Amino acid sequence: MLVEEAAWLYVFAYLGAIGLILLGLYGLVMSRHLIRMLLGLSLLEAGVNLFLIAAGYRPGGVAPILTEATRGLLMVDPIPQALVLTAIVIGVGVQALALALVIKVYQAYGTLDMDALTAHIAAVPVARSAPTSVSAEEASP
Amino acid sequence: MIGAVLLVVLPFFGAFLLPLLHRHYPPVTYWAGPVVLISNLVIALGLWYGVSEVGPQSIIFGGFAAPLGITFYIDPLAVLFVMMLNAGCLVLWLGAWHRRLHEEILILLITGAGCGLMLSGDLFNLYVFFEIMAVASYGLAASRRHGPDSHAASLRFLLLGATASSLGLLGIALIYALTGTLNLSHLAILAPSTLHGPVGLAAFALLLIGFGVKAELFPLNTWVQEVYATSPPRISALLAGIVSKLALVVVLRLLLLLYSDTSAHLLLLTVGLLGLVSAELAAWRATDLRRVLAYSSVGQLSLMAIAFSIPGPAGVMAGIALGLHHALVKPALFLLTESWQARLHELRGLAWLCRCSAFAFVLLALSLIGVPPLPGFWAKFWLLQAGFAAGGWYQTALWIVLLSVIIETAYLLRITRLLFARQASPRFCEPPQRRNLAPVLLLGGVLMLVTLSVAPIGDGLRRIAQQTVDTGTYINYTLSAWQDDKSHWNSFPTRRLTP
Repeated sequence: MLVEEAAWLYVFAYLGAIGLILLGLYGLVMSRHLIRMLLGLSLLEAGVNLFLIAAGYRPGGVAPILTEATRGLLMVDPIPQALVLTAIVIGVGVQALALALVIKVYQAYGTLDMDALTAHIAAVPVARSAPTSVSAEEASP
Repeated sequence: MIGAVLLVVLPFFGAFLLPLLHRHYPPVTYWAGPVVLISNLVIALGLWYGVSEVGPQSIIFGGFAAPLGITFYIDPLAVLFVMMLNAGCLVLWLGAWHRRLHEEILILLITGAGCGLMLSGDLFNLYVFFEIMAVASYGLAASRRHGPDSHAASLRFLLLGATASSLGLLGIALIYALTGTLNLSHLAILAPSTLHGPVGLAAFALLLIGFGVKAELFPLNTWVQEVYATSPPRISALLAGIVSKLALVVVLRLLLLLYSDTSAHLLLLTVGLLGLVSAELAAWRATDLRRVLAYSSVGQLSLMAIAFSIPGPAGVMAGIALGLHHALVKPALFLLTESWQARLHELRGLAWLCRCSAFAFVLLALSLIGVPPLPGFWAKFWLLQAGFAAGGWYQTALWIVLLSVIIETAYLLRITRLLFARQASPRFCEPPQRRNLAPVLLLGGVLMLVTLSVAPIGDGLRRIAQQTVDTGTYINYTLSAWQDDKSHWNSFPTRRLTP
């Protein structure tokens, strides 16, 4: 009885994790809008974190906090929980940096379209039409 | 022993203290970085001496025994690349006259994280150090004062890098689900029975994606040319020349410890070959000097990946040699291009404007191609030797390598011919500033010194490679606390993916 319940929990957790990962990857690959891509990224991260948590689950285990009440009880694996805590913090940092860059990019170009950005980058260094720029420089002194 | 910890702690300490100190005493920005790097270099030299006298050592943190606690493993390979990282950053410091606070902080973070990445013996710890390094690189790539292009390039870099890192974390999660441990030596013991199946290899592929972004491996290197074309040359030099090698060394460690004698070698070989061919062709077609150098750096790193994929010490030795040679040459080339940021045809006749730097460019390019007796030749020669000795697919791969060397020769010599063309002096380019020329000449001087002493360096590298592939020593040293009671290894709880 207990084992069967646990098996379903595993199935749901792993399916959920894989679904989130695929959804996140889909969002990252298929959309051109920067904010949507960032949302895809956070879905992907959530999926991976859920996968880690599911990997550390023990059927019938309690939260791994050692107190008098939980002494001797079966606990879920604490290591993935510590890892996920770290991974969440890293994810938040990366997303904050990404949003800051999105603001900068939007201020500069007025667009959040990925293809437009790629076109801008591909034009570096800006092709200088030789006669005009040189004549402007020569004219100034 | 405490030195290895200081390698990581000192740069982090400096990085986090720098903004506070800067507020009260601004000149600290000028000397804090070099002071930290020089002390790191001294510590690394001490460790090098200790490692070559006594042999590899390991540190266990926090009093937790090895499979649970985090360990640092200090062997010649790790110390060699730590020295490369610190010396490289120091040389690039020489090239910066106007120092900006946040760039200094980020470079210190990269240094600390890179040292940790080389030394750490715990898979998740590796991931954390790698993420610190990655985030600092995104920041550095965006750090140009004018030009939103660098922001856009950094954003694209970040999206690719963060996606790949998440997939890498998924790989770590898979490995943990399969084995129940994250300690590399414990994993090395468990790997043959748990990780050599299809799921374990999928985990390796995911890890390769995770670390491959920084290592500029094949499908994940679209950011390379964008970032290197838009960020300041000093940053490109740091990322291309130094940071990328560290990621590849981590891949080597995982390959040797966890996936020796599996098809993971062939996976790395395939990725390397595809990267090599695509990068050299792209470099041949590129019309802008920075992008040519960026693609050529992808090609060199792919060569390094091919070398690392060859089993046995010969391949490792060739890979280390290729990496160190590239770390010497590519930063210098990037620094030369600061004032040559132009389309290739605008470089025509530049050599008559600035003879010294054009001569340096030719020398570095020749070494990159692999013209004897320059060190680049020996690195490629060792790669060919290792490949022919390994036979099989590796021998076939060498023909592709030779073909790509021909393409490389073609485009680098084309640039050289343009530089020395007899024409009116170019209008858009000016001689490199002296502050950039100083590190270039220093690196060029080191290159000549290496040329003169190839034989002893080759012997040293061969010894290092021997010790690197000796995974038994690695396991013994990091799990020494478990040595007395080997029954633990079998009784340690291992779990399967399914309940």
